[in-house]
Order: sequence, then structure tokens, then C-alpha cells
Amino acid sequence: MWGKGILTGMRITMRNMLRGPITVKYPYERLEIPERARWAVVPKYDGEGKPKCTACMACVRACPDHILDLEFTTREDKSKHIERYSYEIGACMMCGLCVEACPFDAIEMSHDYELARLDPAELTYDLLADVDAVPVKRARPAATPKAELARADSSPAELSREEASDE
Amino acid sequence: MTDPRDTVLTHALQAEGTFDPGRAPAGIKRIPSGVDGLATEHLVVNIGPQHPSTHGVLRLVAELDGEEVMNVEVAVGYLHRGIEKLGEHRRYHQLGTLMDRGDYVSGIHGELAAALAAEQLLEVEVPPRGQWLRSLMSEVNRIASHLVWFGTFGLDCGAMGQFLYAMREREALLDVLESVTGQRMMFNYVRPGGVLDDITPDAEQKLRTFLRTIDSYLDEHHALLGGNEIFQKRVRGVGVIDRETGLAFGLTGANLRGSGVPYDVRRDKPYAAYTELDFDVPLGATGDAWDRYLVRMEEMRQAARMCRQCIEGLPEGDVMAKVPRVLRPPAGETYACVESPRGELGVHLVADGSDTPYRFHYRAPSLFAMQVLEEILPGHLLADAIMLIGSVDIVLGEIDR
Repeated sequence: MWGKGILTGMRITMRNMLRGPITVKYPYERLEIPERARWAVVPKYDGEGKPKCTACMACVRACPDHILDLEFTTREDKSKHIERYSYEIGACMMCGLCVEACPFDAIEMSHDYELARLDPAELTYDLLADVDAVPVKRARPAATPKAELARADSSPAELSREEASDE
Repeated sequence: MTDPRDTVLTHALQAEGTFDPGRAPAGIKRIPSGVDGLATEHLVVNIGPQHPSTHGVLRLVAELDGEEVMNVEVAVGYLHRGIEKLGEHRRYHQLGTLMDRGDYVSGIHGELAAALAAEQLLEVEVPPRGQWLRSLMSEVNRIASHLVWFGTFGLDCGAMGQFLYAMREREALLDVLESVTGQRMMFNYVRPGGVLDDITPDAEQKLRTFLRTIDSYLDEHHALLGGNEIFQKRVRGVGVIDRETGLAFGLTGANLRGSGVPYDVRRDKPYAAYTELDFDVPLGATGDAWDRYLVRMEEMRQAARMCRQCIEGLPEGDVMAKVPRVLRPPAGETYACVESPRGELGVHLVADGSDTPYRFHYRAPSLFAMQVLEEILPGHLLADAIMLIGSVDIVLGEIDR
């Protein structure tokens, strides 16, 4: 029958009308953001409130948009002082590659999504300014016990003899 | 006795060479019946680029005779961002962020194609769990993308309700994607070597809830739009792309399968975990807009079926292979393709041994679907032309790049 489909459609529309809304009234009501949501980059701090950044520049190289810029000075004692860690949030696409590239877990993607600013100049800002970078601790192999060192010094023939006697 | 004014008018137009009864002007494929004796002129209308019914920024230069489309020229480039050139200055890890912005309705597929190409160059083996998660997220994204098509296709035909219902269903999928990947559209989830992270318990629970209800919702959507007689009158037998035309234009995906050609990259050149998944490839018979509609509706059901298999059969293990922080594939070239919701999405990479590609080319299925419009639109009414743009499901982001 011609028109049956239209009536079915009206029934479906009515059924959907009774299902209730799924939207929320945004500024008054907010949806929960998942744990992995990626929004503005923020620096991380250690227990003493010092930034964990070591000015290694890994994030600057990892950024596809080239919006991170780190200016630092190296002092005589090789320690680094971060002059400016510039972040242009207006061009950031929140891909998270900088956070993944960071070997020191010094930055993270925050959940702050209300990022509109009145002045375009505010869209480029400093994540860290005038702070000392954490000195890079190079991973060294754990100190070898003296007995092991003595073993290493001994010749292979001696070692095999020792092993034989152990058994 | 003839009206002297007619004679004068006809004569003047003939002198200018714009009207010659019996001979079609250049580029006009068909002379409409009943107008030969009248001194009518064809009207050239610009449709788009800023028009919602062009699905982005497509510009159609349509030559109209009254309501009838005589000739169509598609003009593109209004969303050109130089993605291919930018790709030559991005590391292999960073290509995914560009591919996300190509076909922005189904970002996972673009990322996957770029990642597959990089893996082929690097000869990296992706762990099974990574493969299955790739398939799972691809299918989740495919349903989300087809729901957008379903909603907007109805809008192009003059229906309104199903758009909102489709967006409501898609919202649940975007929640799943956001929970797993961290973003709702620009995921940056699939990486060379695997995927970013494992599926979250929250996402799994949401996806299970969605999969329990999707089939009944799809039935409802189909009854609402496909069961509507007005819609059927609009799409049945309209915009026929026959087998030969489809193949000649390089169509892929649902547009080609609607014409009855059984080509699906997931089945014919399997990637990710598709060899282990059980799914059907729906085919159309005549290649009209109705067939393309049915094929896409069935693909959503098949995608939901694959999602269920993926969740149940997800193997244990790592999601990411061990890959270096900076990828430097050996010199060479490769082509990798995936079945995106729009067709065969391919990435051609030429590596020169450095950390950026020497050449990065992107085969966008929408580009071919768009070109077939020039072939199928002439002879249809203007309103049908708008419907046909919707029926081939194009995304301008990947056409213009």
C-alpha cells in the first residue's frame, strides 16, 4: 500500500521522541572526560614542585606542527637553565606525539578543553619560564660486586675450572 | 502564421552561435525533448563550493536546461592543504596526523594505510593483539562513518529525522573511540608497529552495549528511510553506474560493489586481522543509488558482526611491536591499501633512507567517486543531482588533501 512506509516512519519518529534526549546542557552540565583524552599540553612536576623537564628537546623534534620551542642556556657547570618553553596552543592538534617522545615523563596532555582566548597573543604561552632544568641522569650499569669482578679478571680456563669445582 | 518576434529572436541567437536546433552545443550529451522549437538557452549554475549539500567544498559547474542537468563539471581544490607535500617533511610516525585530516570522517583507515606502508618498508611484524585492535577500531570507525553518510544522504533526499538518529548512534561510537584513542575525530591511534594503546574496560563495555542494540536500530533506520515510498521513488533506478563505467573510473568500495563487482580490499588483499574474521561482502545488482544505499546499510551490519568477533577473539599480548623511536626505512618504495568506508584507500611511499619519506602519495577513493559524477549526472533533474552527490559518499578532505 502506498503510504504505509510513511506511516511507519511517523511511528518510528514518535517512538524516538519518547526515548528522551541524550544531550546535556553544556556549561551547566558536563560529560565525563575519558582518562586518555588529549587536550592542552601541561608540564609535570616532581614531589618538590620542581619541573621534571631536562631540556632534552625530544618533544620539540617530535612535534609535527613545530609549535613547541625550548630556549635554554647552558651554564659553566653544564647545568641547563630553561629560558622559555614556548607552546602555541592555537596551532596544537593534540596528537600527543610530544608526550610520547618525552623520555623523562615531564609533560602530559591535560583534560582542560576550554581553551578559547579573547586575545590571539594569549594562544602562544610559556609552559616553563626561568627555571633550572633537571640534570640528565645517565643510566649507568649497577656496580658489579667485587667477587664478580675477580671472576671477570680470571682467564676462561680458570673460570671453567672453577665451575667444574662448583659442581 | 509565425510570430515575428520568435523569428527575430531565433535569428539573433543563431547568429551568435548559441542556439542551433537539432545540434547539441559542445559538451551537451543529450537534447531534452520538447524544447527544440523554443529559443531557450542553457543556464550555467555554480553549485557550491559553500553549500551544505555538496558535502564540504565541492563546486559543481552545472549546465541546466530548466530543471534538467545537461552537463556537469566538478571543480575541486577548495580544501587543498598540501598533505602530500607536507608528508615529505614529516617523520613516519607523524604521517598519521596528516592522514587523519585527509578523510576526516574515518581517520583510523587513513592512519592504518600510512602505518601499513611504513611497516612494509621497515619489515616490522605487528603483534596479533595489535592487528585485532586495528580491525576492531577500523570497523567501529566504519559504522560511525556510514552513519554520517546515512544521515546526510537522507538530508540530500529531503528527509530530516534520520540524520539526528544516526548522529545519536554515532555518538556512542565516538565515545568508544575517544575512550580508546583519546580523541573523537583525529585519533592518531594506529602507529607503525601496532597501535597506541590497549582497549579500555570502559570502552569495551560501551561497545558491547552498542553492539547489542545496533541491529535493531539499523532495522529501525532502514524502515524510517528505506521504507519510505518517497525516498524509494527518489533513489530507485536513478544514477545508474554500470559495471564497466565503475571499473573504468576506478571506483572502489560500496560504489563499485553497488554495481555488482565483488571487490573488497579486506577480503582480496587482507590486512590487519581480516583473514581471521568471518564477514560477507554485500553486492548490488544494477548500480543505482538504491543499490549503493542497500550495500552500505548491509556493510554496517557486517561491520557490527566483525566488531563482535573482534571483541570475543581478541588475543592476549602486546599491542605494539618494538620499533625505534625514529624510523629510518631502507631506500625503496611500497604501496599499502586498506578498505576505508569510501573504498580502497592507498598510500604510496618512496623512502630514501632518511627519517622522512621522499614521496608520499595518497590514493583517495572519493576522488574517483567524484569524477564519476560527471558521467552520471547529465540527464537527471537538479534535485536528483544533489541526491547523487550524497549517494557516492565523498569526503572533500581526501579529494583535495
